[in-house]
Amino acid sequence: MSDPVDNNALIALEAVSRSFGAIRAVDEVSFELRPGEIHALCGHNGAGKSTVVKMITGLVQPDGGTVRVGGEASRIRSPQDAQELGIAFVDQELSVIPILSVANNIQLGGVSEPFFNRPRRTRARVRELLDLVGLSDLDPAEPVAGLSMGRRQLVEIARALGRNAKVLVLDEPTATLSSAEIEHVFSAVRRVAATGCGVIFVSHRLDEVLQLCDRVTVLRDGKRVDTAETSALDVDRLVSMMLGDVPPEPAPTLPQEGRKSETVVRVTDLSVGDRTSGFSLEARHGHVYALAGQVGSGATEILRAIAGLEPSAVGSVEIEGRQLTLGSPERAEAGGVSYVSNDRKGDGLFLGLSARDNLVSTRLRKLSRGPVLDMASLREAAKGLADTIGLAPGRLPEPAENFSGGNQQKIFIGRTLERPETRVLLLDEPTRGVDVKGRIEIHGLVRGAAREGTTVIFASTEIDEILDLADDIVTMRAGRVVGRHSRSEVDAELLLAEMTHGRAERAAA
Amino acid sequence: MSGAAVGAPEQAAASRSARKVILLVLQGLVALAGLVILVGAITTQGFFSVDNLKAILASVGFVGMVAVGMTVIMISGSFVSMSLGTQAAVSAIFFVWALKFGVAPAIAMTIAFGLIIGSIQGYAIGAFGANPIVLTIAVVAVLEGMVVVFSSGGTQTPPNGAYEFLNDTILGLPMSFYVMLGVVAVAELIMRRTTFGRQVYMVGDNPLAAFVAGLPMGKIGAGVFGLAGVASAVAGIMLGAYNQGASLLLTGSLTYDAIAATLVGGTLVSGGKGSVWKTLVGALVIATITDLLLLRGYSTGVQIMVKGLLVVVVVIVVHLRSQGTRS
Repeated sequence: MSDPVDNNALIALEAVSRSFGAIRAVDEVSFELRPGEIHALCGHNGAGKSTVVKMITGLVQPDGGTVRVGGEASRIRSPQDAQELGIAFVDQELSVIPILSVANNIQLGGVSEPFFNRPRRTRARVRELLDLVGLSDLDPAEPVAGLSMGRRQLVEIARALGRNAKVLVLDEPTATLSSAEIEHVFSAVRRVAATGCGVIFVSHRLDEVLQLCDRVTVLRDGKRVDTAETSALDVDRLVSMMLGDVPPEPAPTLPQEGRKSETVVRVTDLSVGDRTSGFSLEARHGHVYALAGQVGSGATEILRAIAGLEPSAVGSVEIEGRQLTLGSPERAEAGGVSYVSNDRKGDGLFLGLSARDNLVSTRLRKLSRGPVLDMASLREAAKGLADTIGLAPGRLPEPAENFSGGNQQKIFIGRTLERPETRVLLLDEPTRGVDVKGRIEIHGLVRGAAREGTTVIFASTEIDEILDLADDIVTMRAGRVVGRHSRSEVDAELLLAEMTHGRAERAAA
Repeated sequence: MSGAAVGAPEQAAASRSARKVILLVLQGLVALAGLVILVGAITTQGFFSVDNLKAILASVGFVGMVAVGMTVIMISGSFVSMSLGTQAAVSAIFFVWALKFGVAPAIAMTIAFGLIIGSIQGYAIGAFGANPIVLTIAVVAVLEGMVVVFSSGGTQTPPNGAYEFLNDTILGLPMSFYVMLGVVAVAELIMRRTTFGRQVYMVGDNPLAAFVAGLPMGKIGAGVFGLAGVASAVAGIMLGAYNQGASLLLTGSLTYDAIAATLVGGTLVSGGKGSVWKTLVGALVIATITDLLLLRGYSTGVQIMVKGLLVVVVVIVVHLRSQGTRS
């Protein structure tokens, strides 16, 4: 397990640890980055990835072990220290400033920037950096606001390089990008590595890891599982390293006997402004439908429109033969629509209220006599739901904000379950930011709802999730439907091809 | 360590510890103030007398009723209503005018009047997202204008003394105190034990989530301000009876005193947390301090200043504590 100490390593962690309170987030982890290599850091949520990244970028200090930069023991106390040591960090949430120009963004915050601007020198330097990341066609005077997410990411990488970085840390750089953009980012990263720079690449997307990186270090529960060459790995091996002893996900649901086939939801010619147009779908009782599309495909807008949240939506939505008036979430709810948005903290949960209050929030009418709540049945209902979603009943009085992302998502989904009024359940990215175990549990909940007869329509950008969960798949791209398939007819390659428009041969399945 | 050289989590940690220190200091101040009050109370002649206790309790009646409405509004996330004091005064005028139909009809009409005035405001705020502070300031102008148009702004006097039973005292305390307790109890029950009450907490905690979940925002807003309107109308009825007549001058500092009681009671300014009975405690704390200053012979200026300081300290403490749990 222990690698020979590499004296050429750009940065080396030697048995570093860090605890937060009683939790040992990182436990004697060793890691080294060689010049010119792209080194992935993998592990599911809570494995310790982000703490390792924070120790390297100066946001957190280790409480045990040694950090060596260029062979010398160093203390990285702040991001400024990290910058001076040649470590640059590109965050998953972009920190470019939209109203400033590309050039200004690249200059921003550099410790070696002179107090007075030297425009000509700056311009030449910016040009050089943009060329390096493959943005040769970009005008440095253009404001960042006009750029796509992918190009912003590249500007951010250029900025990191502008600080003479020897180590480039990328945290989930592809989370919000389309496939074509991901390709651009990857080729930029490869070019950067070719200059002798070391790249640390943090990602949940294992196919990307295998495609891009030279080596991968897998963390689990704060400990290093192994560091291995990616050429010796495949996705299955990587998953089993990350998961340890988690039971495998149950096989995808196949059409079951006894399921009624009547149409519950009939969407005809639904359009939302110019973001989606002409969407139609007939969704049957107890089936799970996936709207498969990349960011910007229009799937999110379709769900929002059915939930009454898009005032500009036109078209027809019928639920069990009754026409739904669009543009009012109150009417959608009354019509039998339950909606779980992709932003549990923003427009989903009542974070300051208890888990119990959140779980019963959608069924108060059922739990009251006239206007007066029946406290006994309210508690009982909450307990039953906690049981369904696998939440310790003792935690029900805690405010929702105290729970982990996975448990919050379960509470969010849990409030739509065991509710006969729900005819159709809409889920947007049902497992965003949820770890592998939580994801398996949430998929179980969604399947359970479908078994009970709820029609489920979910939007997802993740192919694994779509293949695991859906009975029927509608692929979307640029606001339009590309294809319709039953689960048994498709594989990952076909889906990816349709979601990204003819890029099947280049995308690694 | 220079301020600029601190990283984000470290910075957060630094500001967290700074917050802890400030919180500790302020809580110490509150404890100290409590001690000062206690010592002041012991050394002030006449503070621990039955008569003085009655005076303190009696003084929270009107403010308490208005503060009930203010609390419900603040819990719902609509910050404050600037018009509740005026609504109470206008309700008093309406009540005194309506007495010519008999006492019981006058009470019913005034409560209906308060309900309607409140619900209209609340519907606009809940359904159309009107800014509650701006809207309620405008309502003050509308109501005052209406009073001047209909009554030329003079004092309304009751046609007869049939209402005088409202000024009875029971066990040495005025009727208004008991009515206030009743309003607090009813409002507390509504907030804790009804669907509507739960929905008010939801809207206050996260209005966007409440909207997306399909809650009836307009109805909830109308309910919140309608309830506040009714509480103010009841205050108006008692005010009209107590003063044996009514004019806009009855408004006094009711609105501000109600806001102060609500804040001292620990209701979260941003909504979602708080309770009506804690506001009653807040009103009693303020009344006790005011009484003490009065007995010690401090001027009205000092009383107002101390009240203001109390609100500032409590608001900061509540804010810091809620920040502490959120991060």
